[in-house]
Amino acid sequence: MIVYQQILNYTLNSGWLTPFVTGLKAGKAKARKCNCCSKVSFPPLRVCLCGSAEGAWQDLSGTGTIIWRTTGPDGDFALVQCDGADTQTIMRLIEFGANVTHGKIIASDTKQPALCLTPNVRTEML
Amino acid sequence: MSSNEVIVTGAAITPFNRRKDGTGFRDWAAMAFDNAVAMANIEIKEIDALFVASESDFFSMQLNPAAVLASELGLTGVAATRCEGGGASGQVAVQAAARLLQATEARHVAVVGVDPSASSLSGDAIRALYGYSFDTWTDGMTGINSTALYALSYQAFTAQFHTSEESLATVTMQNRKNACENPNSHLPRQDTIQEINASPFIASPYRRLHCSPLSDGAAALILSRHKNTPRSRANAPQIIGMGAATDHMHLGARSDPGLFKAKTQAMQSACTEAGIKPTDVRLAEVYDAYAGAQLQALTALGLTNSPASDLMNGNFRPGGDCPINLSGGLMGQGAPVGATGVAQVVTCAQILEGCYHSNLQLSNPPKYALADTHGGVCTTAAVTILSQGNAA
Repeated sequence: MIVYQQILNYTLNSGWLTPFVTGLKAGKAKARKCNCCSKVSFPPLRVCLCGSAEGAWQDLSGTGTIIWRTTGPDGDFALVQCDGADTQTIMRLIEFGANVTHGKIIASDTKQPALCLTPNVRTEML
Repeated sequence: MSSNEVIVTGAAITPFNRRKDGTGFRDWAAMAFDNAVAMANIEIKEIDALFVASESDFFSMQLNPAAVLASELGLTGVAATRCEGGGASGQVAVQAAARLLQATEARHVAVVGVDPSASSLSGDAIRALYGYSFDTWTDGMTGINSTALYALSYQAFTAQFHTSEESLATVTMQNRKNACENPNSHLPRQDTIQEINASPFIASPYRRLHCSPLSDGAAALILSRHKNTPRSRANAPQIIGMGAATDHMHLGARSDPGLFKAKTQAMQSACTEAGIKPTDVRLAEVYDAYAGAQLQALTALGLTNSPASDLMNGNFRPGGDCPINLSGGLMGQGAPVGATGVAQVVTCAQILEGCYHSNLQLSNPPKYALADTHGGVCTTAAVTILSQGNAA
């Protein structure tokens, strides 16, 4: 038996996704609006569902509604319809009550940029 | 005789489990390969190409495993290609091999699927790596795991098709009951519905017993052009249809996140090539990474329009209209990722040929069988249709 440890430290360039990734670090929702059909994708799609690759960045309000939700030892996750977007997105739920269905994007509490949603109520209280 | 015919001349599987015997992935690959070659009744020097299915270098700490295995298996000198498509890796390799034969570029091709998904790393480490099966920059960075993504997709599915907790338990019991008759299986269990429904949630509605295990193991095939097939294997099963397709990587970009549309598209392509309809299929090994995923797969493949009722009516049991996962599937037989899709084709071929495990062998094998895999949450789909050999 060989016992082996591999520690890897990655530096990943985010390329054309940079506005999206930078936005996540600040808790902002940067979406992509198609120049052809005007559909808004979030997370952004380089090529729109209509097939066009022409688009522009658009700020969303950062609020969204839970469509489907799952709970387990690794946390709570949801498929979320962000307000102003025509696609849905996976998000990690932060301090979300079982009956709360609407929330606002917040910056991740880890070093990684991540899609995280917290209840509007909490944001308003802050 | 069509020049496109691909004969399954050799087919073998190692036990799928968590190895504690000191053996490694090279041993399992060699065991499966040697047994497949023996069944094919050919010389190793007649093999013109090797396709290796392996999902991740992180499992084996081995880049370029196809070249390594070419040497290990006595195939040095042949073209060796590694195939990877997440959970679909095995069938991606099978289809690449079969297409090479159809292009008349080889006489015999070996396909080896292998992964040490259980013994090489901790379960938590493997699950973390599986998280990279999804778009790392979006879904992956939320920290979501495979089970949670499948759980979200299944909820969208069950809202349309009205499956239930009982449906999930029934799939679980059925597959693992089949696994009890398969000596190569990882989880030959006979849990009750109460035990299943009391197992802890991994990602609701999925509980621990609704999930497939992480396994070690290998599977191998020798595929041959008809004109090169030994007389003794001339009546072996054939691959007659293949299809592959992709869906949006983001679950949320799909028009219906509960439907496995890539699978439907792949199945349509495979049926067109085979000249049959989905309803002609009377035996299938389908990709049951989770209990609900089996129901989603059966629906997407066109094997049912009413998954809940067809399941409860026993259509998918060993004696039903279309037995599903007689091997036990991923949930029962196990899931060494690269080996999975290859093993499905092995299982279908052995049942069609009448040489499967005695308590699972159908006394009257059907004309056609289907092997179905996917990677991601059916982001990459690959399905293969087999038929009985010429004499059947």
